[in-house]
Amino acid sequence: MAALLTAAGSDYSQHMVAATQPSAGEEAACIRRAQQSDTRAFEELYRMHVDKVYGLCLRMTGNVSEAEDCVQEAFIQAWNKLSKFRGDSAFGTWMHRIAVNAVLGRMRKSKREQDRIQAAAEISPAPASFEDSGNLRDLSNAVDRLPEGARHVFVLSGIYGYSHEEASKMLGIAVGTSKAQLHRARRLLAQQLKDEGYEA
Amino acid sequence: MTTEHQDKLSADAAKLATGISPKRDLWPDIEASITATTAPAGRRWTPYFAQAAAVVLLIGASSAVTYMLTKTDPGLSPVATNGGLLLESASWGGEYELSSDYKLARSDLQSQLGIELARLSPDARAEVEQNLKVIRDAIGEINAALKQEPDNVLLQELLLNTYREELAVMQKIGGLTQNVMSRNDI
Repeated sequence: MAALLTAAGSDYSQHMVAATQPSAGEEAACIRRAQQSDTRAFEELYRMHVDKVYGLCLRMTGNVSEAEDCVQEAFIQAWNKLSKFRGDSAFGTWMHRIAVNAVLGRMRKSKREQDRIQAAAEISPAPASFEDSGNLRDLSNAVDRLPEGARHVFVLSGIYGYSHEEASKMLGIAVGTSKAQLHRARRLLAQQLKDEGYEA
Repeated sequence: MTTEHQDKLSADAAKLATGISPKRDLWPDIEASITATTAPAGRRWTPYFAQAAAVVLLIGASSAVTYMLTKTDPGLSPVATNGGLLLESASWGGEYELSSDYKLARSDLQSQLGIELARLSPDARAEVEQNLKVIRDAIGEINAALKQEPDNVLLQELLLNTYREELAVMQKIGGLTQNVMSRNDI
């Protein structure tokens, strides 16, 4: 995925993740305050989770501007639905579900919109990658070239670690379809990476 | 692809960054959007609230049926007026305990209700009892909604009006002449 920052394994990525990890107590307090319409508390929640939400949107859309729009849409929807959040799942997981819906919603739009997205993808500058890309960068680029269905399942299951049950619920597909798409994604990735000299 | 390749692919995929910082701050646009909405998130039309409102509508219908029954039953005492049932703004804040006077009046009406119900025909009695059940279920549901949103003035008003409806129905059945207690008495 040309538009992705393959920062995994670098000191920077470790620092970035650590800096955005709140304690459970801090997060719960922010949620309670945000549920009382405290926008500052909601901003804190945004700062805590934006990287994970943006990462998911970017990997699913493969486009910076689309990912930014999806993130904004997801957080606006989260604000509107916040009173319904009861803590049955982690707030981050809840945000991921909303973000996936935002991505899928945008992708279901008209053909004209799809064309616009494609045009935006072509003119959108790819962010600079990090030094240590290597095999991971090749893999990231290969993920970007996967067909939509396979890519979505691979991103959720292969990168974000969701189970097939969770991924299928988020994507609105059957568990069997999720498994089949993951198998297809792996097969296509293997083919692409073999052509690019990916080292096992 | 060998199993070894598959394992490496899975392991490398799990290493790919999950947290990626956007190149620009997206918060200002989000903030502009959420502060532009007139109703804040915690005061939206919640399922509890919608449920309570729907039940109150049902109460209106039930009360109308009760009125028709009591009006046409020759064995009943005259129907009391509803002069005290004015809609007023509720302002209980987080407190919505009923006063002891109200509870006493309600208890008195309840004790007479059984006697008066016995004077109705079985069908009419069943109908009135069903209507009272609807109202009392609604009181329970609105109280449950108020536990979620104790400062919701609209819910408080719904509760107040529902208590009034209950008193009004009991008054009609009992043939009492005093008006339903006003909001300030409650």
